[in-house]
Amino acid sequence: MESLYLLIPVALVFCVIVIRLLIWAIDSGQYEDLDKEASRILMDEEQNHRKKEDADDR
Amino acid sequence: MTGAQPCFHCGEPVPPGADFAVDIDGIRQPMCCPGCSAVASLIAGSGMGGFYRQRTAYSEKPASDAPAATPDEYLLYDDPALRAQYCQRENEHSEYASLLLGGVTCAACTWLIEQTLQREAGLLDAQVNLQQQRLSVRYDPQQLQPSRLFAVLESLGYRVRPFQASAQRAQLEQEYRADLRRVAVAGIGMMQVGMFGIALHAGDLQGIAQEYQTLLRSVSLLVASFVVAYSARPFFVTAWRHLRQGALVMDLPVALAIGLAFVASVWATFTGSGEVYFDSVVMFTFFLLLGRFFEKRVRRRHAIACQDAESHLPLAVLVQQQDGRWLRQSRRQLQSGDTVRVRAGEIIAIDGTVVTGNSAVREDTFNGEHVPRTIEPGDSVFAGTLNLEGSIDLRVDQLYENSRLAALQNSVDRAQRAKPALARMADRLSAWFVGAILIITAVTGVVWSQIAPDQVLWICLAVLVVSCPCALALATPAALTAAASALRAQGIIVHGENAIEALAHAQRLVFDKTGTLTQGSLQLESVNPCAAGESEADLIALATALQQHSNHPIASAFNGDAVAGLSAPRYVTGAGVEAVWRGARYRMGSERFCRELAPGLPPPPDEELYWVALCAGDRPLAWFGLFDPLRPEAATVVVAAREAGLSLALLTGDSSAAGRRLGSQLGFDFVATGLSPEDKMQQVRRWQEAGEVVMAVGDGLNDAPLLSLADASFAVASATDLARAQADFVVDDDNLHAVTRSLAKARQCVGVIRQNFIWALSYNGLGIPLAALGYIPPWAAALGMSLSSLIVVMNSLRLNRVQR
Repeated sequence: MESLYLLIPVALVFCVIVIRLLIWAIDSGQYEDLDKEASRILMDEEQNHRKKEDADDR
Repeated sequence: MTGAQPCFHCGEPVPPGADFAVDIDGIRQPMCCPGCSAVASLIAGSGMGGFYRQRTAYSEKPASDAPAATPDEYLLYDDPALRAQYCQRENEHSEYASLLLGGVTCAACTWLIEQTLQREAGLLDAQVNLQQQRLSVRYDPQQLQPSRLFAVLESLGYRVRPFQASAQRAQLEQEYRADLRRVAVAGIGMMQVGMFGIALHAGDLQGIAQEYQTLLRSVSLLVASFVVAYSARPFFVTAWRHLRQGALVMDLPVALAIGLAFVASVWATFTGSGEVYFDSVVMFTFFLLLGRFFEKRVRRRHAIACQDAESHLPLAVLVQQQDGRWLRQSRRQLQSGDTVRVRAGEIIAIDGTVVTGNSAVREDTFNGEHVPRTIEPGDSVFAGTLNLEGSIDLRVDQLYENSRLAALQNSVDRAQRAKPALARMADRLSAWFVGAILIITAVTGVVWSQIAPDQVLWICLAVLVVSCPCALALATPAALTAAASALRAQGIIVHGENAIEALAHAQRLVFDKTGTLTQGSLQLESVNPCAAGESEADLIALATALQQHSNHPIASAFNGDAVAGLSAPRYVTGAGVEAVWRGARYRMGSERFCRELAPGLPPPPDEELYWVALCAGDRPLAWFGLFDPLRPEAATVVVAAREAGLSLALLTGDSSAAGRRLGSQLGFDFVATGLSPEDKMQQVRRWQEAGEVVMAVGDGLNDAPLLSLADASFAVASATDLARAQADFVVDDDNLHAVTRSLAKARQCVGVIRQNFIWALSYNGLGIPLAALGYIPPWAAALGMSLSSLIVVMNSLRLNRVQR
């Protein structure tokens, strides 16, 4: 059971990383619009394509 | 619009002239908006590409227009002063603009907008936020001007306004993010602590080495203290703030339960004795925060879509310059004394006096009436009213700040502040609940300190955990959320926080007349021929032919068969129509206008209708009586409301006798006519001061202060944006039955809340004495708490069932 002394800190580190990631996502505005994202997957195609072109342009 | 086809996708009536029909599985389906037709096509699986090729026909069209075709009105948005308010220059090739959108109804609208904008040269990025109805766009100012964005968006059928950040809005945004962060931290913390909790519970059953128990408890403590300090902080803050003012609110027992369970668990961890409750503490925090987050999210949507009266006014006006030329300039630059031209069909932008021109203005903004007032030089007109018939020149008397419209907006703001706060059932209850729990715990502590001093802490804690106010705290929000979602499914959107409870307790129902009880458009009621020899049908056909050359609102009442062969039609502003038919000169319009031709015209009949005369040469033919018909369901709704025990009142801005007649016909208890928006507010305040709970139904701008002041208010489908923004309930389908349906649902909801309270209290009534006597082990207390909450939630979900 000594493995707990390793595994629990690892779990806590993951926990901190996940919280940091989530807070970063919230602060960068990714959760601003929970209504739109649900249906976004249905209608993405051309936009992705176009985005890539934009990236190439820059 | 009872005759209109419903949109295949969203069910709203298809606006006349809209042509968004889409072939779905070979059937041509009517569509009300571009967004709806987009989603419907996607869902029907017509294939992404196929649909898009179909849509480009609409979307590409504006792109092919020459820039010169952009109306000069849009060019105002390029004005550096205005532009500085909503655009931010990032560098030479990048500028960021924030626009507020109107008419974005579904996710496909955002898709359509983004797709269409992507095709503009110079556009770098476009993102529509559906929840906030906002467009963030980044573009190259060398290639693309904001005016172009406005033109493109409006050609797609959306309303666009520059988004102006306000302190209040920024704060809402901050709060939303902070709430979300708290929920996220509590959720992840709950998973971690839960994992350790399972190990600890298993240890309780099978035995666990002291060493590992201490380890697991310590890490639980670590995670839980972060969650309590970060996520649960608002509970403590609110509870403390109210406590200082001497108020006991629901957050107090919540804060107490979290705080005490946490402190006891910390004690247990350090002394290696007793029980830890870290998992319960964190779970409780997470579920309560989640519930509040959902509740707040619904409210936020409407708080952000800021609507004020000024946004109805045109941005630009035609102003006469010193050299006599007419130039379009920003409304905000107007000076008192300027001369402004308002064309037919335009909204008047300022309060002023007519200098030249005759026309008629529709002043439903102030009196709710759709029948226009005729104006001539010397008459005053008001900002926010609609110029219907002819072009007029005005002298500016008052700028917006002092206009009648601004006064209306002020009374809306005042009403909002004056709205009496109805105590929520939960808050009233929590006051004595908290008191009782504290007393019982104290008494238990004292008694057990005499019997078994080493048990005191754990027994007191068991009392607090058993009494855990989770179920009580959930009782109201769970029921309100369930009721709101049930209403949503019936086409009624709930904005107001307390509105459902207020609605259930309403004693008086206030109606507006025009557009609310009535349909808001004129219909032909009677034809009174002045001489024998002409059949009614012939007269109506003749009138219909004449009215085809009129743009007065009465023209819409004549839409049947018309005689052919009319020549030389002439529309006289503020008077009527004239034309030649079979060699005779016909006139139809006001009494004075027809009498010029036919002096023998008798005065209009006595009946309370809107009368229009018809004459052929010097021979008077007929009087046509028009009126605004009741909505077909109005009578049954009024009867149902009275059966529900409400007293009924009719407050209308219309000063004619029609209101009184309608009131007595439908059996209203109180009728007042000719009221200004302020008078309506006064009346409602008098009732509220007498202790009545008032609900109101309205539609127009003039009803906005009333809707804002009433304890529970409804805006019907065709309502203006300002009225919608002030109302607690917005009725989507054009049907007054929604009012009585909501009332029934609200009463059912309050019933369920009461059941929830009874359950939670009786559970506590049973659990607390047992815990105080020391019969309840901690695991049973925790189980009981969860079961109790679950029952409350399940009971609330019954509200979601469709009623027969």
